[in-house]
Amino acid sequence: MSETAAPTPEPVPEEHQGFAARWEVYQRAGGVITPLITAVFAFFIGGLVIFATTHKNPLSTYKAIFDGTGLNWLSPVSIDWHLFYPVAVHWHGWDTGALAATNLQQTLIITTPLILTGLAVAFAFRCGLFNIGGNGQYTVGAVTAVQFGVWFSGMPGPLHVILAMTMATLAGAAWAGIAGLLKATVGAHEVITTIMLNWIALWIGSYLVGFGGPMQDPRAISAPVTRPVAESAKLHVFWGPPTLQGLHIGFFIAIAALVVYTLILKRTTLGYQVRAVGFNAEAARYGGISVGRSYVVAMAISGAFAGLAGSIDLLGWEFNLDLTVVQTVQIGFIGIAVALLGRNNAFGIFFAALLFGALLTGTSTRNLDPSVFQPELAGNLTRIIQGLVVLFVGADVLVLYVWQARKKLRLARKEAKP
Amino acid sequence: MIARAENFGPGRSFWARISSPRSVGIGGIACGILAFWIALPPLTVRSPELPILFGLIAVGAGIWAFVREEKRVGAGAVVCGLIGIAGALAALQAQTSNLQDVIVWSALAAATLRYATPLTFAALGGMFSERSGVVNIALEGMMLMGAFFGAWGADKTGSWIGGLLIGMASGGALALVYAFFAIHLRIDQIVGGTAINFLALGITGYLYNDLYGNNGTPNNLPAVPDVNLNWLDNIPPQGLGNFLFDSFGSLNLLVWIAVALVPLSYVALFKTALGLRVRSVGEHPRAADTVGISVYGTRYAAVTLSGVLAAMGGVFLSLGFVNSFTENMTAGRGFIALAALIFGGWRPYGAFAACLLFGFSSALATRLPDLSASESAAWPLLFQTLPYVLTLIAVAGIVGRAVAPAADGQPYKKQ
Amino acid sequence: MAPDERPVLELRGMTKRFPGIVANDHIDFDLGRGEVHALLGENGAGKSTLMNVLYGLYHPDEGEIRIKGEPVRINSPKDAIERGIGMVHQHFMLIPVMTVAENIVLASEPTRAGVLLDYGAARKRVTELSRTFNFAIDPDARIDEITVGQQQRVEILKALYRGADILILDEPTAVLTPQEARELFDILKTLIREGMSVIFITHKLHEVLEIADRITVLRRGKRIDTVQRAGATEQGLARLMVGREVLLRVEKASPEPGEPLLRVEDLGVLDDRQLEAVRGVSFEVRAGEIVGIAGVDGNGQSELIEALSGLRRAAAGRIWIGDRDVTRSGTHAILDLGLGHIPEDRQRRGLVLDFTLAENLALHDFDRPPNSRFGWLFPARLVRWARTLLQKYDVRGGGPQAKASELSGGNQQKVVLAREIGRDPQVLIAAQPTRGLDVGAIEFVHRQLVAARDQGAAVLLISLELEEILSLSDRILVLYEGRIVAEYGPEATEDQLGMAMTGVDAKDAA
Repeated sequence: MSETAAPTPEPVPEEHQGFAARWEVYQRAGGVITPLITAVFAFFIGGLVIFATTHKNPLSTYKAIFDGTGLNWLSPVSIDWHLFYPVAVHWHGWDTGALAATNLQQTLIITTPLILTGLAVAFAFRCGLFNIGGNGQYTVGAVTAVQFGVWFSGMPGPLHVILAMTMATLAGAAWAGIAGLLKATVGAHEVITTIMLNWIALWIGSYLVGFGGPMQDPRAISAPVTRPVAESAKLHVFWGPPTLQGLHIGFFIAIAALVVYTLILKRTTLGYQVRAVGFNAEAARYGGISVGRSYVVAMAISGAFAGLAGSIDLLGWEFNLDLTVVQTVQIGFIGIAVALLGRNNAFGIFFAALLFGALLTGTSTRNLDPSVFQPELAGNLTRIIQGLVVLFVGADVLVLYVWQARKKLRLARKEAKP
Repeated sequence: MIARAENFGPGRSFWARISSPRSVGIGGIACGILAFWIALPPLTVRSPELPILFGLIAVGAGIWAFVREEKRVGAGAVVCGLIGIAGALAALQAQTSNLQDVIVWSALAAATLRYATPLTFAALGGMFSERSGVVNIALEGMMLMGAFFGAWGADKTGSWIGGLLIGMASGGALALVYAFFAIHLRIDQIVGGTAINFLALGITGYLYNDLYGNNGTPNNLPAVPDVNLNWLDNIPPQGLGNFLFDSFGSLNLLVWIAVALVPLSYVALFKTALGLRVRSVGEHPRAADTVGISVYGTRYAAVTLSGVLAAMGGVFLSLGFVNSFTENMTAGRGFIALAALIFGGWRPYGAFAACLLFGFSSALATRLPDLSASESAAWPLLFQTLPYVLTLIAVAGIVGRAVAPAADGQPYKKQ
Repeated sequence: MAPDERPVLELRGMTKRFPGIVANDHIDFDLGRGEVHALLGENGAGKSTLMNVLYGLYHPDEGEIRIKGEPVRINSPKDAIERGIGMVHQHFMLIPVMTVAENIVLASEPTRAGVLLDYGAARKRVTELSRTFNFAIDPDARIDEITVGQQQRVEILKALYRGADILILDEPTAVLTPQEARELFDILKTLIREGMSVIFITHKLHEVLEIADRITVLRRGKRIDTVQRAGATEQGLARLMVGREVLLRVEKASPEPGEPLLRVEDLGVLDDRQLEAVRGVSFEVRAGEIVGIAGVDGNGQSELIEALSGLRRAAAGRIWIGDRDVTRSGTHAILDLGLGHIPEDRQRRGLVLDFTLAENLALHDFDRPPNSRFGWLFPARLVRWARTLLQKYDVRGGGPQAKASELSGGNQQKVVLAREIGRDPQVLIAAQPTRGLDVGAIEFVHRQLVAARDQGAAVLLISLELEEILSLSDRILVLYEGRIVAEYGPEATEDQLGMAMTGVDAKDAA
């Protein structure tokens, strides 16, 4: 057919498309609309669950959760919803009061580590790896941060903070690096290894922090909790009460991490390698890139984000590490939903983290009125929504794909019959 | 290296065969295990020389095999030797009486089977799914569904049979959802499986809190009965009879069902026409399609079956093992089962053997803390990591040898 | 010839559209009883699509199928099998880890007690069937242990076992030596005598003249003409197929070989199963010559290429590029020494389909100045470099920022060529460089390879297409079971090569 080669794309066989490649397809296709639809759909099903089990109006339940997030602080009007339409709009000025502000601080405090664990999942994703070990890496980071925060109490403030954070970041990187190394050397699937590392971290953490453990606070012999970090290791609080969980500068560290993430991927040779391996490992290898090395590095960077998340929580507002925290960490898992909903891109991850941060705050025991909706139920509702989000985000590839294919087909038909 | 293919050629002398690097390496692994074993009851060697000797032999054999290109077996022998020495030295630290309390082989055997049971159900389930070409990371969630709905069903119907059936149905239902996303919507199977796990965690946690709240599941849940085999006790000689009775005399019915399912699964998969079709779909779906086999139908059936089986493992946890439900009580067992499946080379007997190994490590992990003299010591908690560490080592050690079904994890697109 | 009064199969106005293209545009086709009807066309002409529609793998958008005069709907392969249609696909539909008997009986297995697979009965029926048609096939052999030619017979047996009387063969000779192809033709003649009808898909002109009774030519999804074999010529068919006059031979000056740039000595390479795939191979390629390696697929070509390019560790022997020993070097180091490598499979290995063309063109050099400095990448420089290359190699369908997946196959291959030849390699390995391309693109690739040779590169061409080897090579080596069994000059014939490719001693053959 000579040189007039029509631009007809060869159909790409499915098996030649990497993991990351398939994500790319609908990242391009969907833009911002599909994640929104996905989230709305997930909340809709969550609403059905609420209605089916509590027989309460899901909207008023969601409203109660929303009020607990503090996001209403941003809006000077409140709207009374009656099932599906607003019945009244009240203006109440900017000073809705300290409560909303406190709640918003809470939301942002939780958003901070979610951004980072979301980045952890996203970075590994871009290398074709599925890091579901965020929980373990977070725990390792938290434990390390506490230990270094307790030690060196005489150090000058900023240095102490930087030291503790660096060590925690490295610890997270090393912990995830194990999975990367196993993948690179013997091909062990990272999903199984990271899950196992989660449980190992959980039990080692429980040993360290728990009763009789080496890190347990000797002064609080009845509580399985570590000593608090030194004042010099605490992050500066810039909004709200410094002692009572005000918003600390860790929030800006997370924002900076979003920028770093983008720069690494788009503007460095490391990012080029990671993306090449993620899209097509075989082609990367052929191109002279060491695939194994990329796996290890990507996993380590991924773990570094999660480890950093652990240190920021500890140095920012928790200050000491509690056994129950070690045993019930969920931040890493939610990071998966954040990364997927945010489509592995910095802006998306920020808003997805905000969504889940708000959901977690709004459903916490402290902020949710038990007479409206039991916080224990709400917490599990969050998990359901999280699962639905991951499921639908995965599936909308197809919805879009079919849609596009149809459009193309219709075009082709038009061409065929002028 | 080139000679490797000839290693098992015919007509080689006995001596040549047992002196091959592979045999020596396997011998080394055995020596390493022996080093630990002689320090335990009933032998309870109380001096370090002999275990250390055996351990060093294991390490030596391992290195010998390693440099002769038997890397995996060699490394295994070295690791076994070192662990053997460490274990034996640890055992020497403990009181003999303590040791005898902890290392009761019959009790360990029984506990091994109990811990292996949920893994076996899930691993066999996973086998059907993966043999048909669908990776099932969601075994964990399906197991959890079985655990909750088994308990709930037993509570509502007042019978364990009701619980078992409802539990199995719940696992099958969740599997059907997964199958729809994995097969029809061709979602990435790893991501989709993870989503299903979250969903199961949320659904069971939500309903548990909604229905049982702070009180937990009722204490009088109808349990799956134990099978009493008193005649085992009468098998001569006396010692053997006692051992057999203590080990297998009063195991739960579901334990025996799991054991029976192993050969049954083997026959189903490798000796029936249907099994041939399932495997063909997992190896080369297009080839199966071109001779008229429904790829989607086969995969739906296999995935649903995997959910039902995994849920049986969950029912065992809640109704046969601890007799209650707690949130996230599967604690990663679905993933361990998956590792056992891979470790066992996607074959029923291999997977069962791996489940027994992981079960044994769990049994050991729960008994070892008793070794410590003081009640309040924290370090026995570290034994809880044993099954997970072992899984990690197993996954790291075997990959590359076992061959997965060729189309495992690849969505099939009809044309 | 001389088919029965009524065709066993008729296709009327068959139309199949894919997003963006019309693969079959109102095609008519018919097949008489006892006839071999060839479907001729180049890659992408729509031959396989048409047959996949007939076999129920695709659903037609328009058109009618009649079998023995009766209109039928074929929605799945099952329907096709029931109507007596059997198909031997270009990529065999066999399960490598299962036995011959298991593959043949799959989906219509003999059983005991309703469910249990009766393997004994399966084996017996396979043995009987293969005796009837005089195939020497061991029913217990695993598919991955038998030769490609035998695998093809298993495919034919599969169709016969299911009672097919219409047999579709999709590019059946692509994987065979000329001798094996002749054996296949003998088998087909036997089948015809037994009353079967055959549709024979190919793009090779001499084959249709040898085996077909009638020939239907497709071009870009349309039926161009149906001709009788009598009176048809290669030139005439080629013109129908391509739509213009075609040069059947590449024009090139005689070679002026210089220094040896690639030397291989006693090379041994293991495959993924740790079996010897390449055994003691020695050869050299000089500056300014094209050395072709001929051989049936799976005789060690892939492993040889991978060892030369550093993707697979050599188990024995040595490799030099220029005067540097690269036996133990990695891919990156070998690329630095001036190796260009056009890989066998451009989509699996040659391109990152989700990268832009600029990123793809930098695949070997992204970590070198000026593309990057101290790990910092300069995307704008990649784009600038890409723009030059895309223009020079006449890549159409997208600029530097377009994704590689948006290009047609021919243009994708041009991108690979631009990257590999654009680096001015000392040594250029071209592995099946024209696989799946149309004639225009094939000519382009061939011209580029000759140009690289004339600029002093040592070119190693590995191809399964004998025609390509013969028209491009200055010297020809034949690889059989991992060994080089023969060497010929450019004047060798297909028959000579074919004999050597099946392991017949080179001296006997010559």
